Amino acid sequence: MTELEKLRIVAGYEFLKHIRRRRLYVILGLTVIAELAVLILVPVLGDGFPDNVMVMAALLSVGPSLATIGAIFFAGDAIAGEFENKTGYILFTNPVRRITLVIGKYLACYASVILLILLGYVIVCISLLAIYGSIPIETLSSFGLCLLYAGSVLSVTFFFSSISKGAMGATVITLVFIMVISGIIDGILMMTGQPHWFMLSTNGDTISTVYGGYELFMGGMGGGGMAPFEMETPSIGLSALSMVIYLVVGFLLSIWITKRRQLA
Amino acid sequence: MSEPIVIENLTKYYNKFLALDNLSLRVAENENVGLLGPNGAGKSTTLKILCGLLRASSGAAYIDGVSVAEKPEQALSRIGVIVETPEFYPFLTPEETLGYLGRLRGMRGDELKRRIKEVIQLVRLEDWGTVKIEKFSRGMKQRLALAQTLLHDPPVLILDEPALGLDPRGVVEFREIIEGMGKEKTIFFASHQLVEVTQICNQVAIIDHGRLLAYDSIAALEKKYQSLERAYLELTEAPLD
Repeated sequence: MTELEKLRIVAGYEFLKHIRRRRLYVILGLTVIAELAVLILVPVLGDGFPDNVMVMAALLSVGPSLATIGAIFFAGDAIAGEFENKTGYILFTNPVRRITLVIGKYLACYASVILLILLGYVIVCISLLAIYGSIPIETLSSFGLCLLYAGSVLSVTFFFSSISKGAMGATVITLVFIMVISGIIDGILMMTGQPHWFMLSTNGDTISTVYGGYELFMGGMGGGGMAPFEMETPSIGLSALSMVIYLVVGFLLSIWITKRRQLA
Repeated sequence: MSEPIVIENLTKYYNKFLALDNLSLRVAENENVGLLGPNGAGKSTTLKILCGLLRASSGAAYIDGVSVAEKPEQALSRIGVIVETPEFYPFLTPEETLGYLGRLRGMRGDELKRRIKEVIQLVRLEDWGTVKIEKFSRGMKQRLALAQTLLHDPPVLILDEPALGLDPRGVVEFREIIEGMGKEKTIFFASHQLVEVTQICNQVAIIDHGRLLAYDSIAALEKKYQSLERAYLELTEAPLD
């Protein structure tokens, strides 16, 4: 039996596990709520929908972005849970390489997140078609960047899951790393005019800034010149490169650590 | 006669704590060997090294001549394992769990389905085969653990306190199953229950502080110390230098 066949089996059963878990449906619900909030609040609180379809597309990308953050909740216990819950006593005593197990788990998590992201973009596309009668081509780039961002968030979560004793710890550390630490450093770098394309939070912003940058976003919402400092929109190419680095490095580290980790 | 389990000069440190101290022993084919020792003696550590869950600080462990540290997948393909009270994914049913583990071991189609049915019947979980494991008691999970151990019909069983959590009826049924298997399999079995060990095993290894104190047939130890209990008590109370 080849490792590839084993990988298919691991990924299949891990995916089944995600489908059975309540958290998938909770994040799915939150994604829909986020999209509905934009679709209802923007015209109610402003003067109808923005004139520019790009602004609305950028605003609606909050749903898929939220779905991406859901990756943390899928992956937080992927490795740490095997050690914390002692399911590893069953899984690790099978003739399967740990690298196969980690890759299988990663693929299953990724597939679950892609499902959520797809749902988000279906809502985006239907909404834009209904309101403006067109979908900007940048939506495709946004979708691609969203998938890449989901992969990088998953890798970072897998890394923290591989070094954490518990699943909850891994989830919280990843959330703090991405939402707080990365966000704070990103803000400081932005305010001081330093490059910040390598920050994960900046990379996440490209899902919406791909439609025209911070300026368009602010202007379109009638808040032009709101920022007390110049907000330089990071390059899409550099951000994509940064996400690829997070994805590869985080994933490889998680494999290396899991292979070495003992189950006492 | 071949020796499916070989442990050579195993030493294991947990930071500065010495859990195994140059432990060596060999288990011959179709022998049922009980591993006895007080809490913290090194029983679980020994079995976990054999199962590839822990790495030895030095020394080596072999399953059917295959080094567990160097070729873990090959070594693990020959064994069935219960370590402590294992947990299962709560969102899956026993049939799904056994399907997953069986497929990972190369079992397929009708053969796998038939074998899943057999082992589920063997551990008396027939009425629970399609119920999610999140509803299971500890004893039921232990029964399922035994089912997954026997699923692929391995020639070597490594069992660490396998009757833990079972009710009295479960313990009796469990012993009968293992006793039956023991006639055609090699069993290496850690337990605190001397009665259990006497029923299932023909030899015992007694360890304490990670050292092998005695390794002989139960009959020989009973002859020398009057009973297995006395042998255990006398050997494990001796101060170690």
